[in-house]
Amino acid sequence: MSTYKLYYFNVRGRGEVARLIFAAADQKYEDIRYEREEWVSHKSEMPLGQMPVLEYNGVKLPQSAAINRFLANQFHLAGKDNFDQAKVDAVVDTINDMISKYRPIRMEQDEAKQKELTKTFLADELPKHLQNLEGLGKLYGSGGSFFVGNNLTWADLYFYDIAQHILELDENIFNNYPWLKENRQQVEKQPKIAEYLKNRPKTSH
Amino acid sequence: MSIYKLHYFNFRGRGELARLVFAAAGQTFEDIRYERNEWPSNKSKMPLGQMPVLEFNGTQLPQSITVARFLAKQFQLAGKDNLEQAKVDAVVDTIADLIVKYSPARWEPDETKKKELLKKFFAEDLDKHLQDLDVLRKLYGDGGPFFVGNHLTLADLYFYNTGQNLLQMDENSLNNYPWLKQNREEVEKQPKIAEYIKNRPDMPY
Repeated sequence: MSTYKLYYFNVRGRGEVARLIFAAADQKYEDIRYEREEWVSHKSEMPLGQMPVLEYNGVKLPQSAAINRFLANQFHLAGKDNFDQAKVDAVVDTINDMISKYRPIRMEQDEAKQKELTKTFLADELPKHLQNLEGLGKLYGSGGSFFVGNNLTWADLYFYDIAQHILELDENIFNNYPWLKENRQQVEKQPKIAEYLKNRPKTSH
Repeated sequence: MSIYKLHYFNFRGRGELARLVFAAAGQTFEDIRYERNEWPSNKSKMPLGQMPVLEFNGTQLPQSITVARFLAKQFQLAGKDNLEQAKVDAVVDTIADLIVKYSPARWEPDETKKKELLKKFFAEDLDKHLQDLDVLRKLYGDGGPFFVGNHLTLADLYFYNTGQNLLQMDENSLNNYPWLKQNREEVEKQPKIAEYIKNRPDMPY
């Protein structure tokens, strides 16, 4: 029997998509959460001195995207063949392009500057990324509410997770993007996901 | 008619990795190269208004690494099972982190500022990234010259291509990393790769 251990901080951050995949697949795993003070003594145990790290049957795997894709492949949430899997990856990369523009803003210490940068991000940067994502959903989604084919894949879980950060900036953002709004609603309706969302620890990010 | 068409600019850039995968696999494809002045009239034909885009049996796929990974999977260059593919992905993500780090310096238009940024990158940042790659090849490489298992994968092709950019910025950048140097030599020794490199258009980037 395979064993899965996920090592990450006690936040959603770059670890939550893996947790969502485990939940969607109803797969048991050890959800190891380090507080910041604990991390210092464990850093050298991780291949690249970073987390998340997945330990699968004793083999350590760094890099959140690699972890997420592996788990999705293991539990048939990655796409039904090479090309569908590629469509899922294209959606994931496009979500990454969006969030990578926001992360530096989140790290900004000066509150006034952060407010300004956030405003610019919402007005000038975010719309084209959301339009791109709706475009891919319509291109690959077979007319349904999931990004690829007619099934839940980790692209939907990834968008669900990242969108939560965007909603904290503007809770009405998806009113202008009905397809994306419906996609998130379909994700949170999945029984195993709904159960997981109800019970997971509430963290700041 | 080719089932594979690659749309990209007439330089290496973000399209070359896909071309290397096709070459390693000995797979024919339509290598559609746009000059800069041709691009504006074609931009809206691409799903995200960007390239590279792979056209596979008439369906478009954006995002350079997604394209390369799909092709690698099609031609058995992605890793032999889910876990090996995940190891390859982890190396690929780690190479991508390196590229993100040197890109601001590489593309800085102001010559004086560029010199400063490059100096800083090579003095302060490069080592951590190359050490990370060394860690992963020791962990996943089975003692051989390739990053994962004992065979050529997408990880080696990506490092080959990225190494070329590094060496172009500083020809001594790999001197302290003999395994990484040797890995690149193994890649360019592969007969189909050697042939491809000999014949491809010579571009500055």
